[in-house]
Amino acid sequence: MDGNIVSAAKLIGAGLAMIGALGGGIGIGLSAHGAVQGIARNPDAAGTVQTNMILGIAFAEAVAIYCLVVALLILFVF
Amino acid sequence: MEQNQWRWGFNRWLVLLFIILGVVFAKRYPPIRPHVQLPAEALSHTPLFTLPVIGEFYLTNTLVALILVDVILLALAFSIRQQVKSGGKQMLKGIAGAVEALLEGLYGMTESTAGKWAKAIFPYFATIMLMVLVANWMELIPGVDSIGFLEKSAEGYVAQGPFLIKEEVAHGAEGFVVVPWVRVVSTDLNFTVALALIAVVMTQVIGVRAQGAAYFTKFWNTSTLFNKPVFGAIDFGVGLLELVSEFSKILSFSFRLFGNIFAGSVMLFVIGALVPVFAQSLILLLEAFVGIIQALVFGMLTMTFMAQATQGHGEHHEDAHA
Repeated sequence: MDGNIVSAAKLIGAGLAMIGALGGGIGIGLSAHGAVQGIARNPDAAGTVQTNMILGIAFAEAVAIYCLVVALLILFVF
Repeated sequence: MEQNQWRWGFNRWLVLLFIILGVVFAKRYPPIRPHVQLPAEALSHTPLFTLPVIGEFYLTNTLVALILVDVILLALAFSIRQQVKSGGKQMLKGIAGAVEALLEGLYGMTESTAGKWAKAIFPYFATIMLMVLVANWMELIPGVDSIGFLEKSAEGYVAQGPFLIKEEVAHGAEGFVVVPWVRVVSTDLNFTVALALIAVVMTQVIGVRAQGAAYFTKFWNTSTLFNKPVFGAIDFGVGLLELVSEFSKILSFSFRLFGNIFAGSVMLFVIGALVPVFAQSLILLLEAFVGIIQALVFGMLTMTFMAQATQGHGEHHEDAHA
């Protein structure tokens, strides 16, 4: 085991940065929950509900992707 | 029906053969831990040309991938155009029929969101969608990201012929890393930022075309500032926030695509290094899904923002016309 404290801190920091993906996961789960309930109540509206769900998921996912980008920047750039 | 069953029975043995071949090759050449790098690798050591302020331009491997994407799209477009011209009133077949069905679906989506502005908005939507889709799916081709030049590097592996083998580099000697010839263009931030800039700038252009100079009252809203003191000030602040959100759109557009596809390709490398046999196929399936979803999301968000820009803020405006 060799190395220095800076690379150890980098790995820990990248791991900590990914905690933010929690929020994106909860958001995607909630939007899929709502969409599935809506489709179960009104199966005819499945098309529009799906389109809007994918848009909502994209917005929720963007936040998690920012965390991922920060983690990747810590690991590979700095 | 009978022929289908025969082919399925045959393909089963083909899959088994490939799994056995994979095991044999993984034993012979154990997979190395791949070299992950954020900026695109330059293929040439001398710059292609130099611009005065911006700097030097190298031939990067993502640029090669972008040219390949363009060639694929142009070939598709020309072949479909030929079929449409020669076919007369017949139905389109094969790939042309699939592309027609896709574009019809996308046009229906645009029309239901944008109404009469669908004709102006649809080209941006379809172009961005098709381009990002082809760029993302290039990741699934074997050899992309893994075949390339060997280059000397401080942390690398021993080269044996054209392969890198899993052996510790002797102390003092230099190792090698692979610089792939083609790397997926969505993993280059320059590409995604350029697409995001095009999308956001053209949103403003379409907004101005739809509403004229009144479009800018969305950002600099002084209409209620003097006759309703408190709410006017709030409206003005909201307008400034709209201005900020236009810039954050560029950021989120570019980082969403870049982050998804870069993370996907890193996951492909790492799974391939950890479990060299069969496991990567499942990740490839996931990546095909992520690729089409990201292409759809990029195009659909562009379309939605453009449709919003054609409508004036506040419903009373719409009611007055109706």
